[in-house]
Amino acid sequence: MNFKHKYLFLLPGLLVLLAILIFPIGFTVRLSLSSWDSFYPALDFIGIENYVRLFTDDARFWEAFGRLSLLSVTTVFLQYVIGFGLALIVWKEIAFQRFFRVLFLIPMMTTPVIMTVIWRTFFHESLGPVNDILSHFNLAPLWLSSETLSKFTVMIVEVWQWTPFMFLLLLAGLLSLPKEPFLAASIDGAGPIRTFVYVTFPLMAPISIGAIIIRLIEASKIMDTVYVLTSGGPGTATETSSFYIFIKGLREFQFGYSAALSLTYLIIMIISFTIIAKILVKLMVRGN
Amino acid sequence: MAKIELQNIAHSYNPQSAEQIYALNPFNMTWEDGGRYAILGPSGCGKTTMLNIMSGIVQPSEGNLLFDGVDVTKLSTSERNIAQVFQFPVIYGTMSVEQNLAFPLVCRNYEKPAIDAKVNEVAEALGLQELLTKSASRLTADQKQLISLGRGLVRDDVAAVLMDEPLTVIDPDLKFRLRRQLKEINQKYRSTLIYVTHDQNEAMTFAENVIVMDAGRIVQVGTPKELFERPKTTFVGYFIGAPAMNFFRCERDGDYSLRFGGNTITTQTRLTELSASQLKLGIRSEYIKIVDTIGQNTIPARVKRVEDLGNHKLVSAVSNDLDIKVKVHRDTAIPAEQVHLDLPAENCCVYADEILVQN
Repeated sequence: MNFKHKYLFLLPGLLVLLAILIFPIGFTVRLSLSSWDSFYPALDFIGIENYVRLFTDDARFWEAFGRLSLLSVTTVFLQYVIGFGLALIVWKEIAFQRFFRVLFLIPMMTTPVIMTVIWRTFFHESLGPVNDILSHFNLAPLWLSSETLSKFTVMIVEVWQWTPFMFLLLLAGLLSLPKEPFLAASIDGAGPIRTFVYVTFPLMAPISIGAIIIRLIEASKIMDTVYVLTSGGPGTATETSSFYIFIKGLREFQFGYSAALSLTYLIIMIISFTIIAKILVKLMVRGN
Repeated sequence: MAKIELQNIAHSYNPQSAEQIYALNPFNMTWEDGGRYAILGPSGCGKTTMLNIMSGIVQPSEGNLLFDGVDVTKLSTSERNIAQVFQFPVIYGTMSVEQNLAFPLVCRNYEKPAIDAKVNEVAEALGLQELLTKSASRLTADQKQLISLGRGLVRDDVAAVLMDEPLTVIDPDLKFRLRRQLKEINQKYRSTLIYVTHDQNEAMTFAENVIVMDAGRIVQVGTPKELFERPKTTFVGYFIGAPAMNFFRCERDGDYSLRFGGNTITTQTRLTELSASQLKLGIRSEYIKIVDTIGQNTIPARVKRVEDLGNHKLVSAVSNDLDIKVKVHRDTAIPAEQVHLDLPAENCCVYADEILVQN
């Protein structure tokens, strides 16, 4: 039979795909080969000049990338550890189990930008309640204007906001585990630690890897928290790749260069996540 | 290993209610030390509940459980010293086979030389020596199930090894091998093995004693031969054997005779004082013979269908609107239509209100 007419049915979907995915990527590639900026808004062709500039004359991008790696890896690790701990607590039959399950999810239900404004108020160095309390102990940390501490502040907000997401995925994973391995471990005489190390953690490995990768992808796009909390400051102390691309593209209007930054960032991310996923599988799914 | 006694054990999921619904009705049972038992019954009959009560996963709502005379009803699973093999193989995937087998002993703080000696002994008995250093997760389903069993056998203090449909995920050809290995293990270690299954072949070929359950009740306990030849209820007759036992509604026609479908059949069961509302004659298809001549216990029948089942033939016949199944050797010549079926008196079982009449 002739099935050529099937392309007719595929066409609407393909057109939508082309419009929303292929075209923007293609246009970004083309844009990255141009010098389009606010002074010269035209799609000229300058070859790989933007990429040469990025690799030879833009330490700020690479510093922002290093900072992003530190922030995302640290926050996701903390989110995983805390989220797993909370999930383990409410997984078992405990008093007020439902109440705690909902309580732990509240941060995720709030609007990130609004919550970051509230956190900024908390950590305000002269007017915020945190330093007000700490002043009783003669402490006045510079939560937002210290180069080191500002990174820590961003991490606190990120961990608070997104640990519930990790908690939710891991709790769903725990609830779906078969009960037989736990019964077998109990019959074998394993205590809670051995049961966790040899049963719970290995069984949760595939779910954990999925949750970590999802959060790493999200965390690598961190923008709103930094924008509202520190605006990348003090100086560039909390500036991440996406925030730097935002500055170049939408503040300095260097569209051609920011397109080159975006594409480079995208490729690095794809490679990084492939490697990270492989490392996680090797580390967490032992024996398979 | 230990003698296990279940005294008035029952389990209800609504014990506080005035009208309790029992998953397992009250019963008494003793599992002898070193015995090989199978609990057989259809899905939902309470066999896994019974097993879980013994392992401590389920607390019975009534009765006591004794291991060698010691009441363990309130003890947790880990305190009961039992081993359990589940339907799906449970192994520690991050460990080697050796580490898996050693795990129960490691958890009980055994010395390394003692662990090594016991692991090697059990590995040899189960034929796992070659695989000791391999990752347990890389093994086949039957090998994994042997590891599950091995973890029970390495312990000297195990009262019984409980197996909950352990061969469900095993290929048919490996099932036979594994069943044989289980029997050998039982003989070698004199371990009490309790095996739950809904597969009558597994139960009959594995166990010395089979416990048949239905709707939360134990309906018969006996050897495979007893279950086959003298089913205590019509349910057992239907459930055990392939095809199921032939049952015919009948009426008493003398001290030892029954009448059904216009035929009179003599049995070896005395029916004189029987006052049941409903009588049934039961006979296995294996015991019915196709004969040429009319005899004392023969009935005329018409051959409806003959199915070739490999090593035997299954003849479906009709006698006065009654369907009769007859199992004959594959070489037996089957007459075209009209035949006579011989129902030997010694193989005829009489059921009064679905219960076997015994005298």
